[in-house]
Amino acid sequence: MLWSDVGNPYARAISLGCYALAAALAVSEILILALALHPNVHPDYRAYYIDRTTTCLNRDTVGIYSLGQTVSFRSDGAKRASGMKVCGWSGPAADGTHSLGETSRLRLQIPPLRDGLKATLQMAAVVRPPQMTQRVIISVHGVSVHKVTLSGKQPMTVSFFIPHAAFSNASTFEMTFDYLDGIPPSKAASSIYKRSIKLVSFRLDAV
Amino acid sequence: MRKSGTDNLVPAIKSPGDAPSMKGAEQFEIFPDYGPRINRRHMVAAAVVAVPLLFGFTGLAIRYAAVASTLAEPGFEAYARALCRWDCHWYVDISERGYERFPIPNQSNVGRWGFFPFYPLLVAVIRAIFPFPTIVVATVASLACSYAACLVAWPLLKKNMQAYVLYCAFLLSGPFSFHFTTFLSEPLFVLLTSSVFLALKRSSYPAAGISSALLSATRLVGVLVVFATVIEMFQQHRKGGGSPLSFPRWVLGRPDLLVAILISPAGLFAYILFLYVTVGDGFAFLHVQRAFGRVAGNPILFLWDGLSAFPKTGWLPTAPQWSALAAIAGLALSVVLMARKQYGAGIFCAISIVVPLITNLASMVRYVIGLAPLILLMAFLLSASKLTWIAALFLFLVACYFMTVAWIGGYLALV
Repeated sequence: MLWSDVGNPYARAISLGCYALAAALAVSEILILALALHPNVHPDYRAYYIDRTTTCLNRDTVGIYSLGQTVSFRSDGAKRASGMKVCGWSGPAADGTHSLGETSRLRLQIPPLRDGLKATLQMAAVVRPPQMTQRVIISVHGVSVHKVTLSGKQPMTVSFFIPHAAFSNASTFEMTFDYLDGIPPSKAASSIYKRSIKLVSFRLDAV
Repeated sequence: MRKSGTDNLVPAIKSPGDAPSMKGAEQFEIFPDYGPRINRRHMVAAAVVAVPLLFGFTGLAIRYAAVASTLAEPGFEAYARALCRWDCHWYVDISERGYERFPIPNQSNVGRWGFFPFYPLLVAVIRAIFPFPTIVVATVASLACSYAACLVAWPLLKKNMQAYVLYCAFLLSGPFSFHFTTFLSEPLFVLLTSSVFLALKRSSYPAAGISSALLSATRLVGVLVVFATVIEMFQQHRKGGGSPLSFPRWVLGRPDLLVAILISPAGLFAYILFLYVTVGDGFAFLHVQRAFGRVAGNPILFLWDGLSAFPKTGWLPTAPQWSALAAIAGLALSVVLMARKQYGAGIFCAISIVVPLITNLASMVRYVIGLAPLILLMAFLLSASKLTWIAALFLFLVACYFMTVAWIGGYLALV
């Protein structure tokens, strides 16, 4: 029976009440959907979860570091290294801290400097035939400072100069590693699980 | 005179509860076949109540023995903690601490937002009344939900006692009974799914709508049951002689049906609103899947990859093979449901399998066995002959022990 056919005033009131409830539900659901389609989130959240433009979810962490100090990223240096690792790392293990995803970041506190820095990193490539090399782009605060191709399982020592202009305006020192040849654990696996390098040690010296 | 009195009263009696009290022999004379009939109904009612209770205790004993074989610590709490694996820990956290905002504490990428709130919320409410450890409260609540799901299944199984026994055995003493008796969403999901289909069977659309709303707050795929509701409405409309084209107008003319449809996803929408307020992203439950490594892809390729993951040693199928086989079996049973003209249930189950299959095969066994219409159908089919019934019952009870050991051992197909 259609609502318009309801003769009993009591039943008609119930019917109208149901229509009002249905309308309220429909309007609420449309409004909630509209809100959900326009998320109001932190840029880091948007980049990682929504836009998926990075595999490295930024975290508020800053490591304490003294220039000229070599920090081990093997198991033996876990305590000192842990504060420096922002995202994109797994471990440490006996052979170093493994990169995870397409980007990894380190962030540390350094004293104010007048000149640039010399970075010395020990890194090894993750290889799985046919992928026998790993290309890595290293940036400091978004400025590309070095490109390296790692090959073989043995760690390689990589040294490069970081111009003062790259970090002069920042309160902390942030180094980003972008991997061009990451190896996923399986064909269908997410890019967050890609493996590229093992970072063995890290050192900065004032120039 | 006596005859007419009997004729007038008997049709009004629908259940033992409706029977008039019989105080003296005179009344037995007036209603000569009431005694045996009521006794039989009482016996059936007692059996319906007792069968799941029996399997509840049997299952508890078998799983306890399985846990005891791997853990030295005795007691119910140790047992409950031992069975709490994988997603169970997420539900415990949600029940105790709620959902986190962003950034996630402890520098984690993985928020709890992917796990729907109704069951952990329910456990939190029960814990507020009975202040025991969360896992103990949740384990008892899950047992109660599974027991209630069995009772709700009785009319859905057309009061077929053999099928009912198998269904109860599967849920409470079966190979996957740990899923239905620990802190996972499955116990409540099965109970609410059964409630929706029972309400639909009785054409009680408001009850179906409310159960669906709760279901949509229990797991994401719960919202899909609204399709079953609409299909049931359509079938009712067609039975009444309505044409397919006049269906929308018919629904619009029935405000009770409109409310039932629109209230069905209310649980999901409430959760979306909650996430928008706390995280700023109403779809955080979807977006967080990235941190779990779930990637959208072709379900057929995922199935193929799963099936072709042959064991390197031995002959037992690998975890991906079990998952792919579970998905295929679930889809096949969904087709059987549709062939038996249970279109709503069939479509609900098929979509509920395909949706998670779009990301990968993870947890597929658990998703399939958590679809009540499929398990009801399986119980019905296996009880068709006495031989299969006995074999299935025996297999369920034996497998309960070994599968519980595998679950505690972290066997991936059961995750």
